[in-house]
Amino acid sequence: MNSEVKQTQPSIQRAFASRYAMNMFFTILILFILSYVGSRMFTHMDLNLYGYMVGTLVFLFGLFYRFLSWSERPPAKLMIQKGKKLVFRKRTAQTTTNDIGLQRFIWNRGLYRWFQHMMMGWGVIISCFVTFPLVFGWMYFTMDDNGFYTVVFMGLNLLTISADGFLAFLFYNSLNITAIMVITGASMAIYRRLKNMQARAEQTVIFDFMPLYMLLFVSITGLLLTVSNVFFHGFLQPELSLVHQFSVIVTLIYLPFGKLAHIPMRPLGIYVKNYREHYAKESMKKCKVCNNEFVSTEQSNDVISVLNQNEIQFKKEEGFHLAELCLPCRRNYRISKFSGVKTHLTKAKEANQDARG
Amino acid sequence: MKKVLYIELENCIGCRSCLAACTQCGGHEERNRNYVIDVNPFVDRQTMPMMCLHCENPPCARSCPVQAIQVHETGAVLSAMTEKCLGCQNCTIACPYGIPKFDVEQNLMYKCDLCIDRTKDGIPPMCASVCPTDTLQWVTEEELAVKKSQFRLSNGMMASMEDPYLENKTNVHVSLPGILEGKEKLF
Ligand code: SF4
Ligand code: SF4
Repeated sequence: MNSEVKQTQPSIQRAFASRYAMNMFFTILILFILSYVGSRMFTHMDLNLYGYMVGTLVFLFGLFYRFLSWSERPPAKLMIQKGKKLVFRKRTAQTTTNDIGLQRFIWNRGLYRWFQHMMMGWGVIISCFVTFPLVFGWMYFTMDDNGFYTVVFMGLNLLTISADGFLAFLFYNSLNITAIMVITGASMAIYRRLKNMQARAEQTVIFDFMPLYMLLFVSITGLLLTVSNVFFHGFLQPELSLVHQFSVIVTLIYLPFGKLAHIPMRPLGIYVKNYREHYAKESMKKCKVCNNEFVSTEQSNDVISVLNQNEIQFKKEEGFHLAELCLPCRRNYRISKFSGVKTHLTKAKEANQDARG
Repeated sequence: MKKVLYIELENCIGCRSCLAACTQCGGHEERNRNYVIDVNPFVDRQTMPMMCLHCENPPCARSCPVQAIQVHETGAVLSAMTEKCLGCQNCTIACPYGIPKFDVEQNLMYKCDLCIDRTKDGIPPMCASVCPTDTLQWVTEEELAVKKSQFRLSNGMMASMEDPYLENKTNVHVSLPGILEGKEKLF
């Protein structure tokens, strides 16, 4: 951080009651300006969508609140500080593609789970990317007489498409497609939770099923709107539209607090990976007992400092902190405490600890 | 009635039933989360189980940047929540007993959850259910109190408390080898 920022920061912060208030203020300000520019001075706001706008603002309040109270915890604070500095590493792009785009780590948990999560995840993300710009007037469509649509994004004519072309089809139906994706994924997830005894053991109704039902509620009511318009000449359209709006707003308000909170949080996984890769290259910690490298020096020190802040000290009379021992040595060290035999100093490899189920 | 896991270390014969049973618990996806350690491998065959001791103030959870490790109302310190864990492995470094395991492929930490789907209903965890030598026992607070009173031997060898045997207060209680000298054993 340079000195200039250091000087100005407190005075800006002093103008607000809390960091929370400040962040919230600037976010709303930015949204406002973007909408002003995007909708050509509010001439293209879709007022049918204002309920969503209010919902989004409440969602932002919740998200900021959750994020700020969470980021004050010592381990989170450290990870965010260090991750921020490393974000421009070359590997960031690759990590983002693998972990967020393709969700490879879920692939490694099983094909079924991967497919269900890709469907739900991308269904939700694309829906947001379509809906938010529409709600805030960042994106809208104008139609000339010639059968062409102009897509306007942030006040700029982005592209002109034929009204019955393939691209136009995708634009009209994007939310229908994502709704089908989410319904597929969420149904698969519910099915897995009901059928698979292992999944069942871990789940609780409120925490694990609620978000799935909410996603279904949103997607089905959204899809019904289309069905009503296309097949039933808009039968029950106003009612359906209200129910759908309600479902979206409730989900938005719930989002920062339940299981779905991992959606805005997950990108921090990139920080974490950068942190681990970068500091591992810099220097590895050697176990104080067996000399094997087991984690980066930085992380070992960070964990020690985080534990210290929680008033947990594992300094031993041998002169090491327990976080400076590799895992097998730490287990053996405990056995030595229990048994009085110097197990951790015995030069034997730990026996295989993986039973075959 | 609240029951706790109680370990009598010296009874262990190294059969590793607890490891095999652990793989079969719901949610464990056929991988065990506990350890059986050779105490003095070049000298004798004595083994001792190493389990998560479910610390009252768990360092693993304190070091997790995203609060992926939750403490259940029974005191059990749960495995990482799959959707939250970012795979930083802080928890594996912070645990004073070297317990959490990490799956690099799945980018996910997993650890003993005291078979929470069983123990929350008072059913013993898998390891204690199968242990043939009563090394791992699932006992009521009263039974534990009786055990402790039996151990009011002058050597003070009940390691349910702090240093030098343990680092912190734990929900799992451990009795050290040698305690039951002079007591008749039932098995
Ligand atoms: S590996 Fe997962 S559970 Fe462990 S500290 Fe990191 S985020 Fe938390
Ligand atoms: S023994 Fe280790 S894994 Fe278990 S609760 Fe304590 S710190 Fe966490």
